[in-house]
Amino acid sequence: MDEKTVSVPENLPQELFARAEFHEEKLEDTGFSNYSYWRSTINTFFKSTTVKVVVALVLIMAAYTVIYPMVTERDPYTVSLSAREWNLPPSREHPFGTDGVGRDIWARVWFGTRTSLLLSVAVAVFEVGLGVVIGALWGFYRKLDTVMFAIYNTLTNVPSTIYLVLIAYIMKPSVVTIIIALVATGWIREARWFRSRILALREVDYNVASICLNTPTRRIIGRNVIPHLVSLIIMDAALTIPYSIGSEVFLSYIGVGLPADLCTLGNLVNQGRSAFLVYPFQMIFPTMILCFITVSFYIIGNKFADASDPKNHL
Amino acid sequence: MKEKIFEAKDVVIKFNLRGKVLTAIRGASIDLYHGETLAIVGESGSGKSVFTKSFIGMLDKNGWVESGTMKMDGVDFSQYKTEKEWLAIRGKKIAMVFQDPMTSLNPVKTVGEQIREVITWNFGTEKEEAKRQAIELLRQVGIPEPELRYRQYPHQFSGGMRQRVVIATAIACRPRILICDEPTTALDVTVQAQILELIKRLQKELDMSVIYITHDLGVVANVADRVAVIYAGQIVEHGLADEIFKDPRHPYTKALLRSLPQLGVRGHDLHSIKGSPPNLYKEIKGDAFAPRNPEAMKIDYVCEPPFFKVTDTHYAKTWLLSEQAADYRRELEQKNGEQELLPAAPVDFSSAEKLVQVKNLTVQFKLGRSRFSAVKNVTFDIHRGETLSLVGESGSGKTTIGKAILKICHSSGGDILYKGKSVIGKLPRQEMAAFRKSVQMIFQDPMASLNERAKVEYIISEGLYNFRLFKNDRERQDKVAQAMRSVGLLPEYVTRFPHEFSGGQRQRIGIARALALEPEFIVADEPISALDVSIRAQVINLLNKLKREKGFTYLFMAHDLSVVRFISDRIAVLYKGQLVELAEAEELFAHPLHPYTNALLQAAPVPDPDVERGKKVAVYNPAMHDYATDLPEWTEIRPGHFIRANRAELESYRRRLEAEA
Repeated sequence: MDEKTVSVPENLPQELFARAEFHEEKLEDTGFSNYSYWRSTINTFFKSTTVKVVVALVLIMAAYTVIYPMVTERDPYTVSLSAREWNLPPSREHPFGTDGVGRDIWARVWFGTRTSLLLSVAVAVFEVGLGVVIGALWGFYRKLDTVMFAIYNTLTNVPSTIYLVLIAYIMKPSVVTIIIALVATGWIREARWFRSRILALREVDYNVASICLNTPTRRIIGRNVIPHLVSLIIMDAALTIPYSIGSEVFLSYIGVGLPADLCTLGNLVNQGRSAFLVYPFQMIFPTMILCFITVSFYIIGNKFADASDPKNHL
Repeated sequence: MKEKIFEAKDVVIKFNLRGKVLTAIRGASIDLYHGETLAIVGESGSGKSVFTKSFIGMLDKNGWVESGTMKMDGVDFSQYKTEKEWLAIRGKKIAMVFQDPMTSLNPVKTVGEQIREVITWNFGTEKEEAKRQAIELLRQVGIPEPELRYRQYPHQFSGGMRQRVVIATAIACRPRILICDEPTTALDVTVQAQILELIKRLQKELDMSVIYITHDLGVVANVADRVAVIYAGQIVEHGLADEIFKDPRHPYTKALLRSLPQLGVRGHDLHSIKGSPPNLYKEIKGDAFAPRNPEAMKIDYVCEPPFFKVTDTHYAKTWLLSEQAADYRRELEQKNGEQELLPAAPVDFSSAEKLVQVKNLTVQFKLGRSRFSAVKNVTFDIHRGETLSLVGESGSGKTTIGKAILKICHSSGGDILYKGKSVIGKLPRQEMAAFRKSVQMIFQDPMASLNERAKVEYIISEGLYNFRLFKNDRERQDKVAQAMRSVGLLPEYVTRFPHEFSGGQRQRIGIARALALEPEFIVADEPISALDVSIRAQVINLLNKLKREKGFTYLFMAHDLSVVRFISDRIAVLYKGQLVELAEAEELFAHPLHPYTNALLQAAPVPDPDVERGKKVAVYNPAMHDYATDLPEWTEIRPGHFIRANRAELESYRRRLEAEA
């Protein structure tokens, strides 16, 4: 540090060595940072190539399942009486071949995907929605603890398959029944999970400040707590989708799912299974689509969870 | 001059943050001499931690050393990349002690094992031998019963003891340089004094050089031989401790020293540095401090100053020292002729209405099956218009008392009266609303006290909505703008989100939120402890201004006595949930009676090297009181001066007061 006095620029104009103007108001602008939670989350999320590819594929597939049934003339339910149309291998005419009664599997797969996606999105929305609301109340009102834990223990200690089967037996098999059955077993887990999140947020200073300002609990939950959980809610919903599709497949597989004549991925896999040894493609194609949906939603959910953590906002 | 053992020269450190490259260190240089203690002082974001972390290759993964050299024993290690290369330096030559002792220790391993591992790892010592050495290290850092403590886990240690363990692991490999990064910031003042003492002792015993990073000028005065002041990624001034404290040359150093709350004069505004430290996103031209310096010269905005020599050991990076600035210097000197400020006479509030009365307040918490009293039998009054400070260390129950008064925390016994009416238990809706409107809180941590997902407009309007304090939206906006202006922020900022503000600004937004309701009584829970030194004065001045203009009554909590001296009318000292002493502020400083008050007063570091060097650390040991038969009572020993003592102690205190008179 001894030789650092050197390198003074020569010939500095003397008039610069006088008082400069001082702008007090301008100073407060220096603390300004342009960090934005959502922008950073989205940027981090789309930084990975995997995410870009998977999201693009899912969007294309979702769009296709919506558009295809509208434009196609092929009816997935049309049975052919001619045995020549039965169990055809994949060809230009039938990209995924036909099944044992001559129905086009390509058409059935996309109709089925549409049903399954709609079903799982509905389950995700209701399950997570119910979970958030009940979890918030559970977290904020200590008195609910006893009741809620009793319900939680009862529902989670009995295998969920048993309810699924029971509800599916009691009610008429339909899409609504499956949604009710899946939501009825799933909401409590979501509620418990959100409760623990909310308990951690509840004692934070800005909530205490809101209490001091006499803000009603309803608004504390709505304005202070839920907005902090939005990224978690999205992640959770994304992870619920593959789980519900899987459950639908499982229920159809054991025969208490949707009516067997309805196109769903579960029914397709189940029907393909019976012919698997002779015509493996009848099961392989629907299963591939099923795997793709499951894996891609898992990737999206997990990558989003990582991206929504401010620690990863680099 | 002593032998130079380490030299960092023109270091430039860059970070890649969200797609942008930021320069955190803009060409900083330091030298370190054998056996000395160098303190690096700076605010948060000044780059002091980043700078020293780069010496041991521990920059975050998105940061790198762009240029410059770091030399030790003739080897430049600034461009080391691999862990293997760094192992030759880290721990063996340079070791580091971090701020938070809990995060530097592994919670699932015994402390002994953690130290032993370091020894075995670095020297390949036999297990038994390493264990013996580890126990010896624990003894060396002042941990009693080291054989027993060796087998314990970090959670069984108190904060101060944990920091001692961290220091033991740091010195395990006999480093020649010990870097201490705010090692006492997370600790209580009395513990802090002990840790500082320990580091000094170890430095002598092990013949180390110490680099001490801190924002606390009191600590600097205590430990440093030399001081380097860092601002916006550059060292702006360095010199011997005496030179920096007594003859600061850089405008930033001067302003920093003048804005210390310890130097405040009652009834006058503290000298405060306006604005916030520069943001690294912005390009810095010329002298980084110029925009905050009312006395800056035009040249400061144009051209970066070089270092000018003051003495052989003292250099400052400011154009003020240039020969061409001689005229301007004279002009400043004439204008700033030292004028002695006379402290305003203390105001006696005892005849004013008792706004808050706390009577035998007890707060208990359930801890498993047992009960634990956080607050025991606390009694005090707060008169309208006064500022009462509650001073105590962490765990003393000061926040609990504040929250019990605010009805956020339950109370287990006693009574709290607000405007003469009891507010314990459930209140009728209307009364509760009226109470909420007139009592508000200011929080310690400005980062946690604002809702990140709401705009400032909503945050400040929240209370206005709850009490319908406006006729139409126009009136609400006016009220928000008025609140913003009274805390010194531009009303245009209301459309921004909290994360767009700096810590000090956020704290002021929190104050504006409370202000909008026009409360009468404000509980301020350590409102300045989390703020930077240059920001503290702003917030203290603001609180004082509001008190003058709006007639607020404050309950002010702090852990450091010296800080509250000039803002408080009366001070109460709290120890483990019990009040031990309460008196008018100046009276308490003139005649501290209780040994704990004395310990607190002595432990607080004073920003004056002469005072700090000769200081002995007093440790308060509650066992010194003989309360077996003669029970202590809360007694008024002099008018307005209360103390918790038994009869024998009162006797001796009275004698002492007489002798002092």
